[in-house]
Amino acid sequence: MARWWNRLQSNVYTRFHWINELYARAVRKKASADIAMPPLAPPPDHLADARVAIVTAGGVHLKSQEPFDMENPEGDASFRVLPADADVGELVITHDYYDHRAADQDINCVYPIERMKELVDRGELGSLAPRHIGMMGHIYGAQRERLIRQSAPEIAALLREDHVDVVLATPG
Amino acid sequence: MGLVAREIEAAGIPTVTASVVRQMTEALPAPRNVMVKFRLGQVFGEPGHAAQQRTILRDSLAALRTVTEPGGIVELPYRWKRGTYEEADAR
Repeated sequence: MARWWNRLQSNVYTRFHWINELYARAVRKKASADIAMPPLAPPPDHLADARVAIVTAGGVHLKSQEPFDMENPEGDASFRVLPADADVGELVITHDYYDHRAADQDINCVYPIERMKELVDRGELGSLAPRHIGMMGHIYGAQRERLIRQSAPEIAALLREDHVDVVLATPG
Repeated sequence: MGLVAREIEAAGIPTVTASVVRQMTEALPAPRNVMVKFRLGQVFGEPGHAAQQRTILRDSLAALRTVTEPGGIVELPYRWKRGTYEEADAR
């Protein structure tokens, strides 16, 4: 499908929220969970001591990194490592399946990295993880398989390696 | 997003997942879900509105404690472009 068509659609359904709900209701019958719901991991006693990471599905990546693949209608299940100290001016969004004009102006709309730094400065959070994760939503078929078999376990392993205490996952 | 959050939680790291589309969350819930009645692409609020964004962020992280069952959903009370966001200076 042409990219302009995907973008036009995303502009329309971002404006009219009920379309998202109708669409999601239509596809939810097909959604099958392939990663079972785990028991809840115990949260830290104090967020003021916790190291926090963000995983965003908003298609965020560094300008210097390869953009997500917009040609494959099944999406792109790969992910990008976003260093905590990256200049926000270096962050861009490649994602044709939602209207990200607001987030293009202010990345914190989908990837609240600056706000999180402020909570660390205020002493409300312990620290930022050194590495955060950018990926995209809109993942189907073989790409969904790839997400389950490859990307999701790699992301979890990377966050464990960084001794992350809490993860905030955000949509596009 | 739900799948990745489940994998991370299963690895022992507690997660909170924000969402703006309830049907999507109900179809594939993450371990802890926070519904925000904002637009797609602006789950933390309006561009340049730092106080609003910090409030949504803080309230999302609070779900670490308020959601006690896997797949639980909490809904934040904020409405799009309505309401004010005041913060205490020292919290």
